[in-house]
Amino acid sequence: MLQIILLTLLSALILTGVLSDGITETIQGVVELQIHPARLINDFIDIAGIGAAFVNAALVGLTGLLLIKFSGIGLSGPTFAAVLTMTGFGLFGKTPLNILPIIAGVYLSARLVGKRMKDYLIIALFGTALGPLVSALAWEFGLPLLPAFLAGMAGGVITGFFLPSIAVSMLHLHQGYNLYNMGLSCGFFGLFAAAVIRGFSQFSTVPSHWFVESSLLLELFVPVFSVLLISAGLIIGGKQALRDLKEIQSIPGRLPSDFVDMASISGSLINIGLIGLFGSAYIFIIGASFNGPVIGGLFTIMGFAAFGTHLKNSWPVVAGVITATLLTGNPLNSPGPILAVIFSTTLAPISGEFGIFVGFTAGFIHLLMVMQTGSWHGGMNLYNNGFAGGLTAALIVSVIQWYKSNKPEM
Amino acid sequence: MKRKDLILKLIGEMSSYILDENPMKMVISLHQEEDGLHLAIIDDAKHSDADLEKLDKTLNSRKRPELAAYYGAMTGHDLLGSSRLDLLGWQIKHSDIVRMGEGVKIDLWLGGDRFDSRQFNIPDKGE
Repeated sequence: MLQIILLTLLSALILTGVLSDGITETIQGVVELQIHPARLINDFIDIAGIGAAFVNAALVGLTGLLLIKFSGIGLSGPTFAAVLTMTGFGLFGKTPLNILPIIAGVYLSARLVGKRMKDYLIIALFGTALGPLVSALAWEFGLPLLPAFLAGMAGGVITGFFLPSIAVSMLHLHQGYNLYNMGLSCGFFGLFAAAVIRGFSQFSTVPSHWFVESSLLLELFVPVFSVLLISAGLIIGGKQALRDLKEIQSIPGRLPSDFVDMASISGSLINIGLIGLFGSAYIFIIGASFNGPVIGGLFTIMGFAAFGTHLKNSWPVVAGVITATLLTGNPLNSPGPILAVIFSTTLAPISGEFGIFVGFTAGFIHLLMVMQTGSWHGGMNLYNNGFAGGLTAALIVSVIQWYKSNKPEM
Repeated sequence: MKRKDLILKLIGEMSSYILDENPMKMVISLHQEEDGLHLAIIDDAKHSDADLEKLDKTLNSRKRPELAAYYGAMTGHDLLGSSRLDLLGWQIKHSDIVRMGEGVKIDLWLGGDRFDSRQFNIPDKGE
């Protein structure tokens, strides 16, 4: 079922894209995206049009889906989340060309310690967050084509090689309370990569691209997809699906919480659809544009609605981000706060486990952090909110652990 | 992962689960052979049928290599919050859960694909 849903989505993206811009323009745009800087924030819709961005996103998602298939792993909560996240970020940063060397690096790392690709599959899929590092090495230093290509490929393989060791260590830092652990891992690696690059060259910031035009197609894509998922869940599961949805709302969501396994696929589909609808409603309410990063963000949180996120554990964190945004005088519909609200649900397990107040506090701190962290890694880590969320979760978890470990027992 | 590390992690997670129920007694027994091992955990805390059914389902869940090798690293290590036996269930071969008085006996069997726990050399009580 999950495979049918993903294949339908990817097909819809390709079909919509080609119908929107025509085959020639779409292909030209896709080629342009492969050699374009991809660091945050590069909205591919703004750069190459809806058609190219949609087809690029579909190709990135398809790469993930094929990797899962060839690894011999069935689709479930985490793999569904990974493909939807990859597809979403294919709208603003990931391309087939900049993710493949990272996947190859993770494979080499697995082989070195006698593991199979399937063992590090999740790391390989989410590790593609550092795709912009590959693009930066290849296309931002004015190298001739072949050396540029080789530099990007080598950088990507080296990056992927280091990710499994970092990913496991970062898990211990926040103990599973930051859903986007690869965001923290890639951000951590990105600090070193940015330092090395800055040490040997002028590593300027790239011009930001943020599509601001209104498009009915873009506005309707996620809500329609969400309604279809809710309908599918209700048709498959009936009343039991609603009971499973209720059960999902009671799960704290700490990593790894596979809602498909813990509850059911039908309950998960309704949860995914609800997250998509509420996310879209928020974007409509604040009057923001449905562009690449926004749709990509909505795809991501919908993916994670099968792997840790639900309305009950998300709202306190989101409320914290909105409050912090207003108190710091930032407009709710500016790029940073929009993405922070969407992606702050990475901290949903904190409110799921420790309650509303702690979740709200986490969201508040998250907004303050995420507005700074992007520049630390030069925008090369696409999961910047996962990075900031990981640091926030680590702070909160360490305080709670210290308190629980040291307070006298009653 | 080295066998010693694995055993420590399994014991840590199982102990966390058992101690959540505040038992007066907890016994952990380890029996190792060349290609597998058996870990038995006994407690005297009260467990409902629903609890044991959930425990059995969690420990004998389908194998998830994509999660075990990555998130399994948290087993018995990151213990803030509820215990997570699913992390453990993905890494063991299978588990048996038996009521013992008011408490429970949980047997965890580990080994490679060739390891057959039915042939495992556990001494009987009388031996």
